[in-house]
This record gives sequence, C-alpha cells and structure tokens, in this order.
Amino acid sequence: MSPLLHIIRDPSGVQAFSMDAWNRLLRESRAHYLCARLSCLIEDRGLAPTCPPEVWSDLTAQRFFAEHKQAQVRLELRKLHKALAPRGIPMLLLKGAAYAHAGLRVACGRDFADLDIMVPRAQLEAAETALEAGGWLTETKHRYDQRYYRRWMHELPPLHHRTRSFEVDVHHALLPLTGRLRPDPTLLWAASRRLPDSPYRVLCDEDMLLHSAAQVFQDSEIAGELRALLDLHQLMAELGQREGFWQRLLARAQVLELGRPLHYALRYCHRMLGTPVPAGVLDAAAAHAPGAPVQRLMDLLVPRVLEPRSPGRPPARMAVWLLFVRSHWLRMPPGLLAAHLLRKAFRTGKG
Amino acid sequence: MNNAFARAPQRVGVRPPRAPAIYRHGPFTVRVTTPLRRLRALLSWCYGDSEPDAGTVLVHFDLQVRQGPLLRRLFSPQAIFRTDTATPFAPFPRSHAFPLLEWGLNWCVATRAHQFLMLHAGVLERDGYALVLPAVPGSGKSTLTAALALRGWRLLSDEFGLLDWRTGLLMPLPRAIPLKNRSIRVIRDFAPEAELGPVFPKTRKGDVAHLRPPAESRRRQHESAQPAWIVFPRYVRNSPLQLAGLHDSTAFTRLSQNAFNYRLLGATGFDALTQLVRSCRCWSAQFGDLNAMITAIDHLPVPEM
Repeated sequence: MSPLLHIIRDPSGVQAFSMDAWNRLLRESRAHYLCARLSCLIEDRGLAPTCPPEVWSDLTAQRFFAEHKQAQVRLELRKLHKALAPRGIPMLLLKGAAYAHAGLRVACGRDFADLDIMVPRAQLEAAETALEAGGWLTETKHRYDQRYYRRWMHELPPLHHRTRSFEVDVHHALLPLTGRLRPDPTLLWAASRRLPDSPYRVLCDEDMLLHSAAQVFQDSEIAGELRALLDLHQLMAELGQREGFWQRLLARAQVLELGRPLHYALRYCHRMLGTPVPAGVLDAAAAHAPGAPVQRLMDLLVPRVLEPRSPGRPPARMAVWLLFVRSHWLRMPPGLLAAHLLRKAFRTGKG
Repeated sequence: MNNAFARAPQRVGVRPPRAPAIYRHGPFTVRVTTPLRRLRALLSWCYGDSEPDAGTVLVHFDLQVRQGPLLRRLFSPQAIFRTDTATPFAPFPRSHAFPLLEWGLNWCVATRAHQFLMLHAGVLERDGYALVLPAVPGSGKSTLTAALALRGWRLLSDEFGLLDWRTGLLMPLPRAIPLKNRSIRVIRDFAPEAELGPVFPKTRKGDVAHLRPPAESRRRQHESAQPAWIVFPRYVRNSPLQLAGLHDSTAFTRLSQNAFNYRLLGATGFDALTQLVRSCRCWSAQFGDLNAMITAIDHLPVPEM
C-alpha cells in the first residue's frame, strides 16, 4: 500500500517509521504536493515530537506556500468585497477560501490554485460589470470559449486582476448548466450562513461537503484529485463530529439531487482513506449507487487513478482515459458534447 | 530502484556503477543517480567519495541525470535533469552534465528549503564570524568569494546564504564555485594552486569552470557561523576601492530584494532579516582590484559581541 495513504488513514503509523519509510513517504507527498498537509495531519494527532527533527523541519517548511497563498486570498477577497459591496452583491466563499475563513482544520497547509466565490445568478451581470470596472480582466479571448462559459458553465471565464497574478473564479451555480445534475443555487443561498465578524457567506456544513463531493465525482476527471479526496476525508472527519450532521447530510443530498456524488465520496473516502463514516450512513447513501456493473467498474477505476504509484510503475492510462470520457459524458448532453469536441479537435494550438 | 540493484549480481563490496550516490551538502542530503561515468567522476573529484545508500538518512533531494532517447545518444548526446517530482529544465548537451546537476541542485534548494531564509550571497567565516556578500549576478560575487576562500577564509557558500531563522545563524553549503568567463583567468592568475575543474564552454552562462570547495570547508560543513559583516560588492573595471558604510534600512531593503524566499516567508522572513541586519555592520563596496578588496575585507572591524 502507498505509504501516503497509509499515513492519511492512520497518522500514528509514523511512530514506527524507519528513515527508509520516511523517504518513501516524503517522495509521494512531494509528488502530490501534500507535505504541508501531511505535517498538519501529524500535528493534529500530537505526533510531531515523534518525527525525526530533520524530517519535521523539511515537512513544515513547505507550509509557507500555503500561508503565503492564504494571505494573498485574504487580500484578493478584500478587494473583491470593495468592488462588489457598493452594488449590493453578496459574496459566498467556496472551497479553500471557505474552509480557511470558517476555521476548519482542512485549511491547514492547504494550497490554492485559484479563488472561488459565488454570486447570485440574478446579479451575475452586475457583478461582472463591477469587476471589470475594478480592474479584473478575463484572459479567455476566444469567442467560442466565452460563449461556452456563459451559456453552459456554472462560472464566468477565469478572471485576473491586472496587477495581481491570482485567478478568481466567479460562480453562479455549483455544477455546469448543461450537466446531468443541477443543484438549485437558490436553495444553497437560502441555507448559507454569514461568517461572524466578516462580510462573507459560506455554504452550510452539508452543502460544503456536497459541493466538494460533486466537484470530484461529478465535475472532474477524478485522476489527480487525491488532494480533493483528502479535503473530503478531513471535512467528513471534522463536520461529522457536529450534532446531527450525517442525518442532515443525507436529507440534503436528496433535496439537492446530489446523492450519487455523495455516495461515491463516502465510498471511496471510506475505502481508500479509512474515513470514519457511520455504517448506517454508508448504507443509506448506497441507495444512490449506480447499477452493479457501473459500480464495479468505478470500484476498479477510481482507486487506480487516485492511488499514488510507486516509481517505475506505469501510469494507469486506460483508467484515466475512461474517467475522462465519463466526466465529459456527465457534463453535457451527447449532441452538444459531440459538437464541442469537434470544435476542440479542429482548433489550432493557439486556442 | 534499489530493489533492481539488489537483484543484480554484484561482487561484495563493489557498488554497481549506476547505484545512487549519497552526498552531504551542509544541512542537506542529496541522492544522485546517473549512468554518466564522467559526471560521477567529476562528482567524486569535487565532493569526495559518496556514502553508501543505506536508507538511514533523510534524502532531501533525489536527483537523476539521465541520457536522452537512444537516437540522441548517437547524435549530439543529451543530459536530462530530473528530481523525484519534476523535470525543471530543457536538456543540456551531455558534456555539460556537471553544471546542469549543480544548477539543478540550486533550483531544488531555492524552491524547497524554506526552513531557511535564503539570501543570494556568498558567505565566508573567520574566527567564528561570518561575512555575507549579497550581490546580483555579474557583480563579481563568485570571484570574490573564491579569492577569499583561497586566502584563509572558510567557505560557507558561494550561492546561498542559508539563514536559520530559528537561531539567526548561517549554515554552510560548501559546494563547487562556478567561475564564469574572465573570472576563470582571474582566479588562475590570483592563485595558480587553485583546484579548478574542466572548462565547460558556451553554457547558458558562458564558459564555466568550477573551483573545488576547500577540504577544510567540506570537513566543517555542519558548523554554523554568527553573521557579523555584510558587504554588497560590485566589481567595476579599473575602479579604485570604495567602501562606504550602509544604513541598516538600506541594507535591509537590498537584502530583501536579493533573497530567494523573502516574500514567501512573510513575517518570519521580515523578523529574520531584521535580526540579521541588527547583528551585522553593513557596507557597500566597489572594487577594480581583487587584492585591494581582500585587504579591505581583512581589515573590517572585529565585531564587539
């Protein structure tokens, strides 16, 4: 078994580690950019003093990236707020920014590729105008791409402020408008809560987990999403402690029609990372499982593309390709998908 | 990788030629795996025999220098640098494998070793006190560092001022000093006994030859030093020696612009740099003659600590 998965499952395993085992663990953690988060998992269990000092200093040194990015996120959010607040547009934080502002442990050592916020659909145009006036620009120049985002996606084309390098994704829904599953954004807004001492809103606990699950198992190619699986694992471990969370979660998944991605999230977190999910919840979510052949196929493919591979073992190309096809299948109806892929295929490299 | 070697038939006590080599560079342990014989020979010339890979030390940087695809082994052969997670550079000609590995290791240290505030500076030590020479490329930093190392100063590093922000001490990283273009001649004239490696012509930084780190520096590569002097050197041809005291705030600004990870470290970097500047006396120096500069440095006031 991969040493990284072994330690995520049971951080106390590091106590018995030889230096050779540490070297293998660090190698996998570096390859998946998980050194900083690994150090947080170890620290949360009070195991830091059991690590060799040179290992501990190497692991914790990687936290500076996360802290630097989180500082950049806070700055970017203040600027976004300044641009949107005068127009009465509320901001809801998604994913990493939400975890950090809600004070969840999953944010510890977590890096950011971009910043995700959500605004109400009805105010999307006003938001776009305000951001443009504030200096945020889109780099998506291609007309087809612009239309692709606007008509079919759940977010505006990625924005960059002209003086900063941070990418901002402005969402108006959680999943693409053309997709098989379309949770109603008004329900998300109604259940969202305002953070204390902050102008920002975040999704309620259940929606936060469901969004994360839908991102991985409905809206991504799954391959390369080990960090997102760890997000789910840590969210489940922390939010699952809260009174009545699991019951609310199951009911909420019904309402938002996100039972299938939730089922996958629970199943693979539990199987691969040993996430503590009550048995009753696993069974109840299994009501949303696909037919047996599909389930068996997913059980075969998902661990293959998510598990860190030992060096020298070739990548799981076939599994990656099949899940890539699946992600597109879930994103758009077949006719639209065919037209989209045709366009992409004929497009020259410059985009 | 190790398993494959374990299975290969081998005589007892003889390492198979492609086995990984372990080198200690100050606080870091580096594992190098390469099939290139010349590169392995240069590594042992420069850093001595490698330690066996017993799996008992933490490997900070796992590096490989590979040959290119088969066709490129026959025509204009290549060397490809890889770390365990990335291939950061385009291939080099195979004859430039050594500078490629040295630059590759610099890249690794600069992008990962945030347990230190990394200044872009030469660092030397005398009587327990460290001299920091921060400079931009082309200012004569490597030449000056090499010359001082050849005149009794202990070389800590030519490239990285590794400031341990927990203790405020500078850690050594004594590696080969790459001398570029005219500096090669200058150091040969300055110290005919200097141990220079082969000249690698026409690299991306021009002609490069490496000065082997002095044995004394390698032997004491785990001994940290208290920073005491900061001199910003600048070589200007035919210029008379000018040594001017620098205000703390100016030195702070110039150091912060010259560090690899000052911004990334945030408040930690700020505190470390403040402490460094407060514990040192700072000068800005312009020189046209290496000997005059060394004399001036040798006569810097002894710190009162």
